[in-house]
Amino acid sequence: MALYAQPPTSYSDPTTAPIEHRFNPYSDNGGSILAIAGKDFSVIAGDTRQSEGYNIQTRYARKVWQLTDKVVLATNGFSADGNNFVKRVKQRLEWYEHAHHKPMGLKSIARMIQTLLYGKRFFPYYVYNILGGIEEDGSGAVYSFDPVGSYEREACRAAGAAQSLIQPFLDNQVYFKNQQPEPGAAPFVAGNLPLSTILSLVVDSFTSATERHIEVGDGMEIYVVMNKGRTTDDLIGPGILSEGMHVEELGALGEGGGERTFLVTSPLKRD
Amino acid sequence: MANISSVDISRLKNGEVNLGTSIMAVQFEGGVVIGADSRTTTGSYIANRVTDKLTHIHDRIYCCRSGSAADTQAVADVVHQHAQVYTSVYGSPPPVATAAALFEKMCYDNKDQLSAGIIVAGWDKEAGGSVYNIPLGGGMFQQPWAIGGSGSTYVYGYCDATYREGWSEEETVKFVKNSGCIRLCVITKDKVERHFVPGNELPRFWEGKEVVGNMSGQRVGVTA
Amino acid sequence: MVVKAVETPNIGFDFSNHARNQFLGQRLQGTPKATSTGTTIVGVIFGGGDSGEEAGVCLGADTRATGGPIVADKNCEKIHYLTPQIRCCGAGTAADTEFVTNLISSNLELHALSQGRPARIVTAMTMLKQYLFRYQGHVGAHLVLGGVDSTGPHLFTVHAHGSTDKLPYVTMGSGSLAAMAVFESSFKENMTRAEAVALVARAIRSGIFNDLGSGSNVDVAVITKSGTEMLRNYETPNERSNKSRNYKFRRGTTAWTKENVRSLIVSEDVKITTGAGKDQGGFEAKQVPTGAGVGGEEGMDLDS
Repeated sequence: MALYAQPPTSYSDPTTAPIEHRFNPYSDNGGSILAIAGKDFSVIAGDTRQSEGYNIQTRYARKVWQLTDKVVLATNGFSADGNNFVKRVKQRLEWYEHAHHKPMGLKSIARMIQTLLYGKRFFPYYVYNILGGIEEDGSGAVYSFDPVGSYEREACRAAGAAQSLIQPFLDNQVYFKNQQPEPGAAPFVAGNLPLSTILSLVVDSFTSATERHIEVGDGMEIYVVMNKGRTTDDLIGPGILSEGMHVEELGALGEGGGERTFLVTSPLKRD
Repeated sequence: MANISSVDISRLKNGEVNLGTSIMAVQFEGGVVIGADSRTTTGSYIANRVTDKLTHIHDRIYCCRSGSAADTQAVADVVHQHAQVYTSVYGSPPPVATAAALFEKMCYDNKDQLSAGIIVAGWDKEAGGSVYNIPLGGGMFQQPWAIGGSGSTYVYGYCDATYREGWSEEETVKFVKNSGCIRLCVITKDKVERHFVPGNELPRFWEGKEVVGNMSGQRVGVTA
Repeated sequence: MVVKAVETPNIGFDFSNHARNQFLGQRLQGTPKATSTGTTIVGVIFGGGDSGEEAGVCLGADTRATGGPIVADKNCEKIHYLTPQIRCCGAGTAADTEFVTNLISSNLELHALSQGRPARIVTAMTMLKQYLFRYQGHVGAHLVLGGVDSTGPHLFTVHAHGSTDKLPYVTMGSGSLAAMAVFESSFKENMTRAEAVALVARAIRSGIFNDLGSGSNVDVAVITKSGTEMLRNYETPNERSNKSRNYKFRRGTTAWTKENVRSLIVSEDVKITTGAGKDQGGFEAKQVPTGAGVGGEEGMDLDS
């Protein structure tokens, strides 16, 4: 028994150890988000269920937010912090516009979010952020953040309750991880998938996560941000989206630089 | 008094079903009246709203259970079996004192494993009606009346001030009813009679109308 | 003469690894978690009285099994068989509900054989509560027990610590509040069989859609004196939709580093030396390929 520092607690007297009671300011509201960048577009998506423990708080809570005409932000984790964080980001964007007479660019918003998050380094926002949109050069981009502000630009990222289910799938389908090209064929090029493929991957990610994760479900919102002048034929038109899905264009927030944002919605299982 | 206030709910294991209870038993000439509420809970959830905590031990012996539902049911089941064997061996029903002694032994010997506060009451031909209180640690106290469970603290003053020796059956039943019991049982030589008092028919004198008049809870109808 | 001490047989659970596991739990990320059936299970009594309907019990369960927030089984069975006329729904630790119902089912069969009559529901209830009480809640089985015997229909709940309740309608598991809300608003005495099945299905659906621990399909069991009907997947309100892409991989997608092909067919000589097949003059022992299975002497073909 010398191996153990203390003898095992006995079953007959299980309540002798001190119990600390303390207010916990955080909670986990489940759900999942993801984003994938294309050549000249970006897709940012999230489910709409908000839960605590085994209870559904609401079947529709927004997790993906249009910030500017070319930037969309997805938040996940503790929804009170998430909502408050988005409110602060929007306020800073408005101040920027008043000061500079133009909307903040994607790259700058990413850096601003870092400072905002790190500003609460010792009482963090319990939120995982994924930022998507169109870069200055017209390319689709995705930035992902940890709760205290570490961030990087990527081609795709999943976060939230079903991150461990979705990210490996995306690594395999977007980065072609663990896949060998056909002998003699050209090597795979990571990213730069067509919009129709990315949309299918997003939908399948969420329907599959709904099957195996109890906190994911009810509905999903997929934001598609397109660079100016890009065709919309691969998004709008008969037979492109599957049954039950719905698409609408979101009008320009500012003066409109030609970029277009579309919102695709689809129901998910409710159990 | 210490035995009641030391009902330590934290002794219940996580998720255990609890009888956060009001129980009582009162002796009178020729028998006993026992009473209990009807609620069992797991945390804040009411697992059973029509519980019967007046548990049959023998023809004229019952017990009122408080504390852990699992523990008190297990103990009552064992004593019930002993009482049946006793009847087979001795050819006569066990006295209430014997049943109470069996409860006391189980509760005392296993005091570190049990959270059970039990009142044993009944009628036998030697002693007539009698009441035995067996609180948490497994002590045994014969009393003319006993109350128990977490709710009993609220009626201690009333019971202490009201109880008188030499009551009739009817007076005793009224006393138990007034103490807020939902299920009642009258045990005498000749009968075991059960009563049920629905929650909305409980006496409301404790609201204080006798003292302060009809000023609280009264609404005056107003036509628009 | 040396008398050897009689070894005590190992009966019940072995807790000797408890200390080790707790020590390991501190060093690793945590102790292994058992699959729990975060569940909705319910039961109602129907018929009897003036209804003219045969009295019986209707049990219901969802079919989701979880391990933490992950769905471990999308269509598991939570209505367990005890005897032909008694069934038991289980919530809590999946292994415990499975084992405890199997054990009690076995003991009830032996009981019926020794007494020469079918076991009653109270017998099953008493066996379950005494077993669970012995393990002081460490066997995490929360049960809804129902059936019909010589004394009529009976319905019980049995909690993991060994307490029992007898009621006309009951619910248990993480979805018990959602299901009880349905029962408290809609239960009637002396319902018809069809009414009871519909109410049970509605209570389970309420658990499936409002409790994250419950999901997938509705299982129902109806027990009357004249027989037991198991309605497996009575409702399937959560059918899987088709994926929008096909994820079949081309043969050769997975990389490999080395190849090694080995024959698993072994030949050996068998010479029978005793019994009917004993080597006799003029009788030749035959070489048998021992790898031969159902396919006969030739053995199975390798995939070419």
